[in-house]
Amino acid sequence: MTGYVVQRLGAVLIILVAMSILVFLATHALPSNAAALILGQYSTPGMQAALEHKLGFDQPLHLQYWHWASQMLQGDMGLSFEMERPVAPMLWDALSRSAVLALSSMAVVSTVGLALGVIAAVWRGRWPDHAASVFTYLGISLPEFYWGLVFILVFGSLLHLLPSSGFVSLSGGVGPFLAHLIMPVATLTLTLLAHVARLTRSSMVEALESMYVRVARARGLPERRVILRHALRNALIPSITVLAQDFGFLIGGIVAVETVFAYPGLGRMLVTALERQDLPVMQAAILVLTAVYCVANLTADLLYAVANPRIRYGGAID
Amino acid sequence: MNAPLLELRNLTIRYRGGERQVTAVHDVSFALAPGGALAIVGESGSGKSSIAGAILDFLGPAAEITGSILFEGENLSALTPVRRRGILGRRIGAVFQDPFTSLNPALRVGRQIAEPMVHHLGLPLAPALRRAEIALQEMGIERVTEVARAFPHQLSGGMKQRALIAAALACQPPLLILDEPTTALDVTVESQILRLLSRLRRDKGTSLLFISHNLGVVRRLCDDVAVMYASQLVEFGDVRRVLERPAHPYSKGLLASRPPLAAATRGSRLAAIAGQLPTSADPDAGCVFAPRCPFHEPPCSAGSQFLTVAADGHRVRCWKADASGHWPRQQVAADLAPSFRRGDALVNVTRLSKTFDSTRGLTSWQLSLSRGRPVLYRNEKRLAAVNDVTFSISPGEVLGLVGESGCGKSTLGRLLLQLLRQSNGSVEFDGADLAHLPAGALSPFRKQAQIVFQNVGSSLNPRLSVGEALERPLSLFKLAKPDARAKRVDALLDMVRLPAYYRKRFPHQLSGGERQRVAIARALATEPRFIVCDEPVSALDVSVQATIVNLLADLRDAFGLSYLFISHDLAVVAQLSDRIAVMYRGRICEIGTAAEVLAPPHHPYTEMLLASATDDEPVSEPAAVTAPASAGSGCVFATRCQHKLGAVCDEMPPPLKTLTASHAIACHLELAPGAWMPGFTDADGERRQSGARDYQPGPAP
Ligand code: SF4
Ligand code: SF4
Repeated sequence: MTGYVVQRLGAVLIILVAMSILVFLATHALPSNAAALILGQYSTPGMQAALEHKLGFDQPLHLQYWHWASQMLQGDMGLSFEMERPVAPMLWDALSRSAVLALSSMAVVSTVGLALGVIAAVWRGRWPDHAASVFTYLGISLPEFYWGLVFILVFGSLLHLLPSSGFVSLSGGVGPFLAHLIMPVATLTLTLLAHVARLTRSSMVEALESMYVRVARARGLPERRVILRHALRNALIPSITVLAQDFGFLIGGIVAVETVFAYPGLGRMLVTALERQDLPVMQAAILVLTAVYCVANLTADLLYAVANPRIRYGGAID
Repeated sequence: MNAPLLELRNLTIRYRGGERQVTAVHDVSFALAPGGALAIVGESGSGKSSIAGAILDFLGPAAEITGSILFEGENLSALTPVRRRGILGRRIGAVFQDPFTSLNPALRVGRQIAEPMVHHLGLPLAPALRRAEIALQEMGIERVTEVARAFPHQLSGGMKQRALIAAALACQPPLLILDEPTTALDVTVESQILRLLSRLRRDKGTSLLFISHNLGVVRRLCDDVAVMYASQLVEFGDVRRVLERPAHPYSKGLLASRPPLAAATRGSRLAAIAGQLPTSADPDAGCVFAPRCPFHEPPCSAGSQFLTVAADGHRVRCWKADASGHWPRQQVAADLAPSFRRGDALVNVTRLSKTFDSTRGLTSWQLSLSRGRPVLYRNEKRLAAVNDVTFSISPGEVLGLVGESGCGKSTLGRLLLQLLRQSNGSVEFDGADLAHLPAGALSPFRKQAQIVFQNVGSSLNPRLSVGEALERPLSLFKLAKPDARAKRVDALLDMVRLPAYYRKRFPHQLSGGERQRVAIARALATEPRFIVCDEPVSALDVSVQATIVNLLADLRDAFGLSYLFISHDLAVVAQLSDRIAVMYRGRICEIGTAAEVLAPPHHPYTEMLLASATDDEPVSEPAAVTAPASAGSGCVFATRCQHKLGAVCDEMPPPLKTLTASHAIACHLELAPGAWMPGFTDADGERRQSGARDYQPGPAP
């Protein structure tokens, strides 16, 4: 298994380096000139050249990259062009708010999604299964911003039950904190729930029809135990992988949902930075998102290995 | 007789599937006494497994069950589901066919054995786990702590089945139901499991309900046998009585189609049951066996046949039971069965080796947590699947290749056809070295050397009709003009004795035997001279197996074909082969004519195979139950050999000793012809004639 872990770590590092090069190059290839952006429209070419020299933009590209990357690694993400303050603290704030959103969504998806899948599999062909499949069909067939708008319309504007935008930190009270979370989380989870529930259902059905489940029943174990201990334990293995892959999907969803609900997280920060061509913020936000994505996938692979004894314990007994 | 432990009364099982209704079991009654052992024998589709399903309650809502199943005096179908489940595991244990899928891959083996004790006996987990280890020990497993803590994928097939038996017996149930428990295992392992079962029966008094398609296996374990055919019980009685003097024609045919473990002449053929199992037989329209019965007479179809009960409890469903004679045996006149001449070899294999590297680079590093503390080690698996093998096959000759699963026999077959590249050594076909064929010469070679696989299900394209599948090689090798192809396809179908209208059928419309015939026809399409038959009959029922073996013999004689006939079943190999090579872990340990290999002196491994195939009091149990770790430079068989001489076997590669011009054995033992035959003698010193006590089909017409 160590070999496996080392391999995965290596892959993550390579992806991160590749992404950072890509981000670096992409932002350099943007049409606008950074110095001109910073100095504003009344600057002269001479002033721009001087600033470029000061910022190191006249150096060879690989040196610039090296300089940039090592600063990044030390946590120095530069100054925001737009706000003229350091990027790092802004970014960490936004990231922590996004993390609240992402983690609560994941918690909902993994519990409710798995439960839905299991219920549909155990009562397959009967009404709980049909109900779950209608639900998952709705979830899968429409994008999340659609549901976000529907929620705002119904619970926010029509019923005035929930605040339809913004964020209140925990220090502002648990009630408002949760109230601001419910709709974004519900929107984010809907699609993923459907995905996880479907997959869990199919791997659960397969497990329930397997030989070892028949054997477990023939040992006289009660059905509850057969389902939860024998079938679910095996059905969980593919579900775990999918959950972690969905985390990547969730990051994409967060960008959309934060925009719809005006939620001050990393996604909205990125969108704003893109609109205003705020180069350092863009670079930092994309890199952080990439890193989060990689870590999620790494966690998925490791969880998979832990759940699957075939990977954890290699050798045969002889 | 005391009250029976298990009694079936008029059990009938029907499956509803849409409008069609299939009767799987029709009006079956029998009883199993406490401590007794009863076998249900029949081919696939006979309904035998549905009986187990009805007792163990896993047939599901599609099955409609009438009649009653009485267990310990209680009618099982009258119980509440919870009470019924409570009987399973506690009063009835069950072991199924496939040990590879029967254990939960995500739970430790010990847990799975302990689980029923925790649930049924209310034991806390720790003592239950300790008891599980004791149970594993009783099953003949060594290093029980390690095995109990292992996950299923770490165990060999034999160990898995032992663990499953341990789990089934965890609560000491009085009844153990075994549904083909040894079918998926190698013969030597099968023999060990059977011995284990008969010991359990003796020591614990457990009753056995043993379901099998293999009559030979049944004899070793059971008192009574119930023979099923097309959902009906056709014969029931004492095992010895039924095996030695079968009364029902189907039992006779079943016994006669089993190949004897003896060398056959070129003209001999197996007795076979023509035709196939009816898909839906109507028991009221006369005897269900009538279409395939050689003793059939008009009264047979007049009305349903009843079970007649003799004084000794023997029951037969055939009015002619006592009057009908021996099952007819087929034979080919000697002049129609030409022998081959040993001359220039068609296939010449010299020092052939094939090594697989299964892991390389980073993934070969493994962290072992299973031995108490974490250990990092490099697990380099270099598997010598075929190791320094030399032999030749003459034109028209059949070389049989026997060995257990994983011994490298299939790899060897693929090497001969160059479907795999060897690591070392050479294969010559018709004098040309295949590794150095000029470009363009491979296609003619492919035309002349073909292969038939075991698993025809996956080797035939499901979307091609039989006719299309047979036309493929014709157009690929440009063997027939498009307008002549149809005729050629008909001729090919005729060769494998399928009617011409089968060209329109698709693989899923064919039975297993028919599919195998199509696969053979496809191999014949290119008019080959050499065919590798890779376990062609292993997946088939015994009566179908006999017809395919006969077909292969006929084709050999008609076209002068050479075969490499690969099988794990020594008896089947002996039936068809002129010479036999015995393979163990990549090496050929004995090679000789069929008669030489089947008669002493044997290589110790051949001896073990023979003993496993025939024994009732077999040679001593080998120490290692699993495939042992790789042997160094010594004899590959040393870890399982009962005649091991000591260090010399571990350290020195065994020399190849030539006994006759055709017979060679690779072993350190002193081998004098006829003088050495340890462990395989009767009390009076006579070698057992295998199958001699069995039912013998009638003389050739
Ligand atoms: S009843 Fe007739 S057809 Fe049936 S098994 Fe007996 S002899 Fe054969
Ligand atoms: S060489 Fe030794 S270990 Fe190998 S088969 Fe012969 S006696 Fe047994």
